[in-house]
Amino acid sequence: MGGDSDVGQPPLKRQKLSKPSHKTPCEGSRTGVAATGSAALMARSICSNDGETVGSHGQIRKVEFVRIIEQALFSLGYQQAGAVLEEESGIRLQSPAVQQFREDILAGRWDECVATLSEIGVLEESTYKAALFLVLQQKFLESLEASNTTAALETLRSEISPLGVSTSKVHQLASFIVCFPEDLLAKAQWKGAGQESRQSLLEELQQLLPPSIMVPERRLEHLIEVALQVQREACVYHNTLDHVLSLYSDHRCSRDQIPTRTLQVVEGDSLKVKYKFTGHSKPVSFVAWSPDDTMLLTCGNEEVVKLWDISTGQCKYTYDKPNSCFTSCAWFPDGKRFVSGGGDKCIYMWDLEGHELEAWKGARMPRINDLAITTDGSHMVSICDHKNIRIYNLEEKTERVIEEEKPITSLSVSKNGRYLLVNLVSQEIHLWDISAATKDLPKKYRGHKQGRYVIRSCFGGTDYAFIVSGSEDSQVYIWHRWNGELLDVLSGHSGTVNSVSWNPVNPHMFASASDDHTIRIWGLSNRPMPKKHDEKPGSSNGFDHLVNGGTRDLLENLRPFNSDTD
Amino acid sequence: MGRLYLIQLDGRIYSCRNCRSHLAQCDELVSKSFHCRHGKAYLFNTVVNVSVGPLEDRMMTTGKHTVADIFCNSCQQVVGWKYEVAFEKSQKYKEGKFILERYALLP
Repeated sequence: MGGDSDVGQPPLKRQKLSKPSHKTPCEGSRTGVAATGSAALMARSICSNDGETVGSHGQIRKVEFVRIIEQALFSLGYQQAGAVLEEESGIRLQSPAVQQFREDILAGRWDECVATLSEIGVLEESTYKAALFLVLQQKFLESLEASNTTAALETLRSEISPLGVSTSKVHQLASFIVCFPEDLLAKAQWKGAGQESRQSLLEELQQLLPPSIMVPERRLEHLIEVALQVQREACVYHNTLDHVLSLYSDHRCSRDQIPTRTLQVVEGDSLKVKYKFTGHSKPVSFVAWSPDDTMLLTCGNEEVVKLWDISTGQCKYTYDKPNSCFTSCAWFPDGKRFVSGGGDKCIYMWDLEGHELEAWKGARMPRINDLAITTDGSHMVSICDHKNIRIYNLEEKTERVIEEEKPITSLSVSKNGRYLLVNLVSQEIHLWDISAATKDLPKKYRGHKQGRYVIRSCFGGTDYAFIVSGSEDSQVYIWHRWNGELLDVLSGHSGTVNSVSWNPVNPHMFASASDDHTIRIWGLSNRPMPKKHDEKPGSSNGFDHLVNGGTRDLLENLRPFNSDTD
Repeated sequence: MGRLYLIQLDGRIYSCRNCRSHLAQCDELVSKSFHCRHGKAYLFNTVVNVSVGPLEDRMMTTGKHTVADIFCNSCQQVVGWKYEVAFEKSQKYKEGKFILERYALLP
């Protein structure tokens, strides 16, 4: 019983297993066992422990478990510990034949390799041939590089071609004979004779041969990482930024990872108003920050579009069309162009100087209610005729239509540009995958109230695992995106919550705007409450993402809403 | 108020007299021969931009029905009602359809 060399071995492994030689009953169940000595020992030892399992569900085979542990020990550098484990358990990581094979490959003793290959366990015909081909190919290339053309030719003729594997590859190899050795490396995409290429050959062989003969590298680490991944996905409230989960206990976030507590209530008049933008004659219904935060686009409710410069507070340009009734606009990710669409059934693309770059119009264009552009600039999504979602692929100039049954009130696109969220009048929120080629059913989220107003929703949290939306019953609803479960209903507002926006840099904060003339900032419940802020009258209709995470600049969006009374 | 979501209709439409929000299309008209307290009323298959009030049982010229008043979304005026349940067999065709009072409509 080695004392300190039992590093990393769970207590279970310390029991001595009886020697495999007198456990024969299951030997016959293994068909086609190779008869050579070492392989037989290997097969028998696998056989004898075949029925034993570890783990509380009996799902892990003991032999595989021990072999994986041995491999982990060896790869960590604990050679002695690994050897002791092999001895104690009687289960070897690799049979001596495989060991020999590995050494032969790394040393370049090709003929021994070929011989050993036939001894290693049971291989299917095709696998055997493919493996042989790889080994011989390496031999061939190495001889060519050493300018030993005759030996290479010999290999090609007598060993490679009779295999009958992949004749096109054989032709390619034949063509390498007439190359200079210097070109060979480039043409064959081969790293040259030496440890590196032999190592990569070993890895290729490992993938080819059945895993029971050659256990794939780093198997234990891979299994644990998969388990952690599953835990993280199963954790409904997971909203932390750290990627390294502890192995000591199952990962389960508690409810306090999502913002549930009002941190600030922004109301009254004392938040510093930076600028007051006036100029619209109708209520402002839509604002959009430019991707570089220096400019703001505002749209009246069926009116012109105005571009404002944040640093000076001046309106840089007014985009007008005869009968203009724009309802929404969206920036391109380069911040130089934007699109706007509205009730006049056209979508226009503008640049910052006021030039119209492109227009989509015609008899087939329907009324546009909402527009968005994905963050990579490849797709433009629009809501047409209340019920259709049209996704234009801007590069390929193709389009795809998703039809909804009930009218859509608002649209939002995820940050990675793959998903879009639509709020329907029928009190559902649908999540669609833009890039899916087939039209799968969308994920649906229910529970909130909606019917008369435009309610906006958005993605949130790390990995955008949450969907959050306002509602006409003055509450904020948070769902888990993947399983559709309603996680939380936050009360606090006293009027319809019109819009929500999750902080793009801080996954623990989001803001909501409501008809009770306030904006609330929500954060984690174990943080202390900061001081209250006041705001000005005028109900807040919606806001765009706070790229800098601050709330001060947000308030500029609200002022123009009152401009119909100015 | 938050931003109202109003559906726009195409073609020949009836709109609310107060706020001009679109209520129904001419194609959806089923019958013009209804009456209400204020005068004529039309029966429509579908209407938009209305919200439905609480259900109540009412005795009407054609018999007892369960109806719910409907209000225009933007100006909150009563524009008619919706038939939920009709108790007599001959009136069953009205179920799920909407009545809009002529008085509340434009044109």
